[in-house]
Amino acid sequence: MNKLYVVGALFVAAMLGFTYVAMDIKGGMNGDIVNMLAIAGAVVLVIVSVFVVTKYVRQMQSDTAGGELAEENWDSIGEYKNPLPMGWAIIFLGLIVWAGWYFIVGYPVNAYSQIGEYNEDSAKANAKFEEKYTSLTAEELHNMGESVFLVNCAPCHGLDADGMNGKAANLHKRIAEDSVKHVVNNGANNLKTTFPGGMPPMLLQDKAQIDAVAKYVANGFKADDAAGKAAFTAGTCNSCHGENGEGMPSVAPKINGWDAEMVSTVLKDGKKGAIGAMPAFTNLNATQVKAVSTYITDISKGE
Amino acid sequence: MFHWLEKHPFFFAVGVFLVIAFAGLVEILPNFAQAAQPTVGTKPYTVLEMAGREVYIKNSCNACHSQLIRPFKAETDRYGHYSLSGEYAYDRPFLWGSKRTGPDLHRVGNYRTTDWHENHMKDPAAVVPGSIMPAYGWMFTNIADINTAYASQLTNAQFFSVPYNKPVPTKDGGTVTVAMANSVAEANKMALDEAKVITAGMKDKDVQDMVAAGKIPEIVALIAYLNSLK
Repeated sequence: MNKLYVVGALFVAAMLGFTYVAMDIKGGMNGDIVNMLAIAGAVVLVIVSVFVVTKYVRQMQSDTAGGELAEENWDSIGEYKNPLPMGWAIIFLGLIVWAGWYFIVGYPVNAYSQIGEYNEDSAKANAKFEEKYTSLTAEELHNMGESVFLVNCAPCHGLDADGMNGKAANLHKRIAEDSVKHVVNNGANNLKTTFPGGMPPMLLQDKAQIDAVAKYVANGFKADDAAGKAAFTAGTCNSCHGENGEGMPSVAPKINGWDAEMVSTVLKDGKKGAIGAMPAFTNLNATQVKAVSTYITDISKGE
Repeated sequence: MFHWLEKHPFFFAVGVFLVIAFAGLVEILPNFAQAAQPTVGTKPYTVLEMAGREVYIKNSCNACHSQLIRPFKAETDRYGHYSLSGEYAYDRPFLWGSKRTGPDLHRVGNYRTTDWHENHMKDPAAVVPGSIMPAYGWMFTNIADINTAYASQLTNAQFFSVPYNKPVPTKDGGTVTVAMANSVAEANKMALDEAKVITAGMKDKDVQDMVAAGKIPEIVALIAYLNSLK
C-alpha cells in the first residue's frame, strides 16, 4: 500500500465527514429523494476524483519515458509513437454518428426559421379562430363586430361611429344629404366588384330637385315627402335603386339602410365620395367582415 | 509548404484567417445578395414622395414610429404582411426605427387616406382620442424642399443605380415607370403636378391655395410619402 493511497483515503473520509456534518446542520435529508441523489452524487464524485488523481500522481512519480520514436521532430524535440487511446477513439466515432444525426434532425435540414414559426403560429391561430367561431349568435357577432370596428374603423369613423364631425361617414345613417348631392352631381363608381355598371352623373340637374332628393334619401324615404318622392322618380333613381331605395342585385346598392352585403362590399372595394376616400380593408377574414357588417347594420338601426 | 507555414506564425495566422473568411463569404454573400434585391412591387420614390421622406426625417418621425413589421401574428393582423428586406432597396437611409411610441407605419398607405392624415397632423387627438402625438401645424405653412429631394433622386440614380425612368415590375405582373426630371425646373413642375393630385383629396383651403399658387407645403409632400408606404 502506497502512502499516497492512505492520504487519499483519509481525505475522502474527511470530505464525507464534513459533508455529513454540514448536511446535519442544515436539517438532514428529510427523506427527500433529490437530497439523497445529490449526496450520493457527491460521494461518488469525491471518491472517483481522489482515486483518479492519486493514480496519476503515482504514475508521474514512477513512469519513465520509452518506446519507439516518431520520424518527425520539431526543433530537435521528438515524440514517441503512442497507441490511440480507446476512450478518445470511441468519442471520435460517436461524434461522427452524432454529426449525421444533427445534420438531419437539427441544422441545416431541419433548421429553425422565423418565417416558418410565424406560418405555423398563424395557421394555428386561424384554425383556433375558425373552430371557436364556427357558429355565432347575433349577439356574439355584434360584440365581435364592435371590437373589429374599434380597431379598424374607429380611427376614421370615431369610437361612436358618428364620423367625428364630418371627418368620415356617420354610420348611424345610411347616407348624408351632402353625399347624395355629390353622387347625383358626379355619379358613382366605387363598388365595382358588386355593382360593375356604376351610376352616371347628372341624372338630375335642377338644384331644387337635387336638394329634394337629397333630403328624401337622407331622411329615410318618408312617405309624406311628396316633393322628394317626385324628384326621386324624375331622376329615374327608382328604376335602379327601387321605389324605397331597397336596391337591385348587381345593378344598384340598397340606399335606405345598411345591410351585410353593402358593408362587405364597401370593405372590399373601398370608397371615394363627398367626404373623402376610404381604403379597402382586405385584412379582415370572412367572419370578421360578417361581424362588422352586423355591428354597423345594428347601430344604423339604433340598436 | 506546411513546414514553412509552421515556422512563420504570422503567415500561418493570415492563412487561417483567409480560410475562415472564405467560408464566411460563401455562407453570407449569396444570401445577402438575394435578399437585397428589390421586392416585386417596390418602386423608387417620386420627387414629391422623396421631399415628404425628408420632412419625415427632419421631424424625427422615426423616433416614435418604426417602419418594420415583424413576423408575428399580432403584428401582421394589425399592420399587414411582415416586412421584407427587399422592400427597403430604395431607402437611403432606411427608416426602420427602433422604438414604437406610436404605431408602425411601414404599410400605413394601405389603411389611411389623404384626408385622414390631414386631420391627424393638424390635431392628432381629434381623430385618435388619447393620442399623445403632438400637432404638426407648421407643416401646413412650411414649404417643402423640392430641390434637395431632386438632388437625392439624382444621387440615388447615379451612384446606387436606382431605376428611375426604367420599367420596374408590379405585383399584378405589369410594369410601372417612375419618372425623374432632367432639370431642377422640371422636377419642381413634376412635384407640383403630384401635389395637385394630393390636394384634391384635402380639405384645407389655405393648402389648396398655396399649391394653386405654385408653392408646395410640407404636409402635401409628407402625405404623398405616407400614401406611398404600402
